[in-house]
Amino acid sequence: MNGRRMRALVLAVLAAVPAALAAQEGAGAGNVAVRLSARGLPGDLVQRVQRIATDAAAHGVPAEPIADKAIEGWAKHVPAARIVAALRAFADRMTEAGAAVRSGGLARAPGSVIAAAAEAMGGGLKPDEVSSVVRAAPTAEEVAPGLSVAASLTAQGLASRQAVTIVVDAMVHKRPMSQLLDLPSVARSMHDQGMSPGEIGEKLLPHHGDHGPGGEHHGDRNDRPPGPDHPASPVHP
Amino acid sequence: MTDGRAFGPGTQRYLDGEPSPALGSGAEPSPGERAAADRLIALARAYAEGLEPVSAAMDEAVMAAVRRRGAVPADRGAWRWFVRAHRVSVRPVWMAALAAAAALVVWLAPRRPATGTRAELVVAAASAADTVFVRFELVAPAARSVAVAGSFNGWRPDALPMVRGAAGIWSVTVPLPIGEHRYEFVVDQTRWVTDPTAHAQVDDGFGGRNSVIIVGPKGLVRS
Repeated sequence: MNGRRMRALVLAVLAAVPAALAAQEGAGAGNVAVRLSARGLPGDLVQRVQRIATDAAAHGVPAEPIADKAIEGWAKHVPAARIVAALRAFADRMTEAGAAVRSGGLARAPGSVIAAAAEAMGGGLKPDEVSSVVRAAPTAEEVAPGLSVAASLTAQGLASRQAVTIVVDAMVHKRPMSQLLDLPSVARSMHDQGMSPGEIGEKLLPHHGDHGPGGEHHGDRNDRPPGPDHPASPVHP
Repeated sequence: MTDGRAFGPGTQRYLDGEPSPALGSGAEPSPGERAAADRLIALARAYAEGLEPVSAAMDEAVMAAVRRRGAVPADRGAWRWFVRAHRVSVRPVWMAALAAAAALVVWLAPRRPATGTRAELVVAAASAADTVFVRFELVAPAARSVAVAGSFNGWRPDALPMVRGAAGIWSVTVPLPIGEHRYEFVVDQTRWVTDPTAHAQVDDGFGGRNSVIIVGPKGLVRS
């Protein structure tokens, strides 16, 4: 194969990739319509949701979480106009969340990760805090649980920065997933014992964490804020 | 040989060589039975004296036949290995290691955590690697029906009806994948109610709230 033909082949492949991705996204939007119709959403609402999902897919945002949200709203008897407005806001947040996830080093994040990041941002996490969790996660599979735990701790009253620091520390120190996922339960138990969110955060903070959540303080205080310089970026697949 | 049922118990004891019962106890053999028993004993002695001991050659021939009959076919090597006796030598240190491994297996085996109290979300036991049984409870004495709907069942308000128990506590146990789940209770098919014992309550984007639970692999505790 001569050089000219090789260049033509490469160009053809490069041109085909976006088309294939667009086709996939279109198929995702098509699935959205099928799912919504199956759940009894009226045709005009299905079309509006599908448009939102197609627009979102064009920005690399997964369509399935949008369909899930529409189904949730319909099940709760939320008026159609309000569902559409909520979905637009959710799609925008997912676009922002996708950027935060990519900024954290996960170039092609699964839809579940972007949805988790969007929910976490809806719960009060800032984009740079989302990036910190992504960066700290040992594997891509641990990003969504980490974000969910950080969001849950934030929803329990901890400052988002504090919640993210707790999660990032657990990830950096390679604590088992079970321990990470247990943090909201531990925080809730502390709350039931009468501790304030501030006290819970202090108790769960890394300088208590040498012996797991709620452990005794045996080391130097480590309340470095999550940010681009912390911690070393793992390589995500 | 005489049928033993023809003799009384006293005669049978006499035949067995047991001490004679006390006179006048009524259990001693009658003179007729005793005479018959003596005849039987004499015949048995004569028969035994007429027996010849088994020769060593006969004994060897019988044992050889038994060995042949009991031998494992040569083509069943693995089976032969299993049925054959082996001498095993084990160092005590390996015994300790095996015991430790067995203890570890028992310790790591899934177990059922303690059940919760009212109005608590209880995670009962892991049924599979990525699934945990979660028990939802809501105290609603005045409710006619309660169900749980959430991200795990497509927010279907009728998919997971709860059962009313004592003191108006409604409950249902659901296998949930490990991870985050959002849900609400649906009271009387119309009212969506958050779980006051959930890990967190978050904005649902429609002006309401969702309850959040994070289910971990080790069985979690309560919300």
